[in-house]
Amino acid sequence: MKTPQTLSRPLAQRVAGLDDPRAPIATAPDLPASVLDAACSALDRGETHYTDRPGIPEFRAWVADHLRERYAISVDPSEVTITCGSTEARFVCMTRLAPPGSAVLCPGDASRIRGAADLVGASIVDSIQDDISLLYITPDDYRETSIELLQRAEENGWWIVYDLSFAATSAPFHPAQNEKLASRVVTINALSGRLAGWRLGWMAGSEMALRLRAGKQAITICTTAVSQWAGLEWVRTQI
Amino acid sequence: MTIEANPNIPEEVRAAAADGTQLRYALMEMAKGLDDIIALGRGDPDLDTPRHIVEAAKAAIRDGRSGPTPVKGMDALRAAIAGHMRAVNGLPVDAENVMVTTGGQEGLFLAIQALIDPGDEILVPDPRYTSYDDAIRRAGGIMVSVPTNREDAFNLEAEAVEAAISPASKALLIVTPSNPTAGIVTEDRLRAIAEVAIRHNLIVIVDEIYGKIVYEPWRHFSIGSLPGMAERTITLDAFSKAYAMTGWRCGYVAAPANVIDAMARVKQVTTGPVATISQWAGLAAINGPQDCVGEYLKVYSARRAVLLDGLDRMGFAYGEPRGGLFVWADCSSTGIHATELSYLLLKEGRVLVFPGTAFGEKWREYLRITMLEPIETLQEAVERMLPVLERYRL
Repeated sequence: MKTPQTLSRPLAQRVAGLDDPRAPIATAPDLPASVLDAACSALDRGETHYTDRPGIPEFRAWVADHLRERYAISVDPSEVTITCGSTEARFVCMTRLAPPGSAVLCPGDASRIRGAADLVGASIVDSIQDDISLLYITPDDYRETSIELLQRAEENGWWIVYDLSFAATSAPFHPAQNEKLASRVVTINALSGRLAGWRLGWMAGSEMALRLRAGKQAITICTTAVSQWAGLEWVRTQI
Repeated sequence: MTIEANPNIPEEVRAAAADGTQLRYALMEMAKGLDDIIALGRGDPDLDTPRHIVEAAKAAIRDGRSGPTPVKGMDALRAAIAGHMRAVNGLPVDAENVMVTTGGQEGLFLAIQALIDPGDEILVPDPRYTSYDDAIRRAGGIMVSVPTNREDAFNLEAEAVEAAISPASKALLIVTPSNPTAGIVTEDRLRAIAEVAIRHNLIVIVDEIYGKIVYEPWRHFSIGSLPGMAERTITLDAFSKAYAMTGWRCGYVAAPANVIDAMARVKQVTTGPVATISQWAGLAAINGPQDCVGEYLKVYSARRAVLLDGLDRMGFAYGEPRGGLFVWADCSSTGIHATELSYLLLKEGRVLVFPGTAFGEKWREYLRITMLEPIETLQEAVERMLPVLERYRL
């Protein structure tokens, strides 16, 4: 039986600019026994159904508490959505905060958002121009530059994504500490590293939180239940 | 009176009325705030994931087999899915034609992103699963409705498909068994539709997530198995419904290899690979004993009989539900708009059902009711709904 290789019609143009997937980075997830126990216990008690669309309440509460304790910012658990890794969080933010034809200002490493920006039809720029809708910064960006751009964000009403995933720096600085910006800041983070294969991240905050949640729901409905329970134990015991 | 202007319906429902997906979630949120609700809304099987699948996942967890996989999925799972789709669905596919997705819904999202350019038309039977609307809109696609009707048990006619085709038509989306109607597209119709698709060079995206839940004497049939269709068909499926695995978020797609490659490039930047433990669970589902699928089908079949009996008592008509986990009931005998009726049934009957308007703008005389509760609970739901209908029937 001949297997099909090529579609009878051309593919969408948007996929032409996307790179082939990278091979996964091999990891040996030697996880704490309590995390393994939490995952297995969740399965044994039947946590195999859809969770709440934004994620299990305990995990969302932890994220809100963590942001308050670590960065002294106020995010309600209802503004937190658990995602399939930070990849999904970044993409959803692009779809909702960077309209087609707009620009995303990224003063640092843009490699993690380039594909998502291409898909939604937004461009990535590293200097200020008129059509910017979103400022994407991370803790690893040069602090003085970030502060200057945040001032411009305040003046121009840009959305701000502060991506904590993969950050090498752990300073307690956060753009939402500026009350005038807080409603326009989305925080992204993930449990990568040893939990990479569990596909767990989150996006939190901003007045767009419910629309971001709807964007996630439209793609994957909710995040894998057993991953959320494993992740909850991880953050409670390891962070 | 429009729903938006109806003061009997709370603001959170009215505000969501124009978006089928948001309307469903608004009702679910409202139900969460009420006590003693019988939830016949969301399509989440109440049955447990079969034990051998859970144990396989636990073994993977204990053995440390949870590291990240390639974006297309584990090789072993892709090969197993290909073998299953060859044997069960008759699709001419190998592992290179298969990708693992984060549930069935993501499969549709990825397919649309990979196939649809702005201005392309995609033919969609009406009523429709409105959760797919967002993916189509964001790709710049234009949905064109293809009518189906109760008298025909919501089967899809090739003539209706062909009548909806324009020079901009690029794809046809089929969901069989259908969500929300529970109708199936029968083999004879699919053969005629395949001829139309080939004649007009249409791509066919077919969602077969309920394909293992088809009631006697009906049979599921995969359009991708027909001559000349493999190179134009994208088949979506998932473990979620047949194996009661919604929370694992594990589905799969079969398509020409270049489509799989393109979808993987999209998936790399949108969600990444599927959670590894879910993939081990999926492998156990597809390689393990299949008795559970038949046993679950028997359970649903018995529930379906109870629910249909209840609908008869309520004076609701329906197209024969031939597959899936729903009944699509015609509530026009009440004279009440479906959105208002679903709200009244929730508020006063403590039964959550979804209005037809959540699955297409014109379906204001229909309700979608799931059979995802035990028989006793379904009977109780009927007893709760009857007096509400009696009270408000116009």
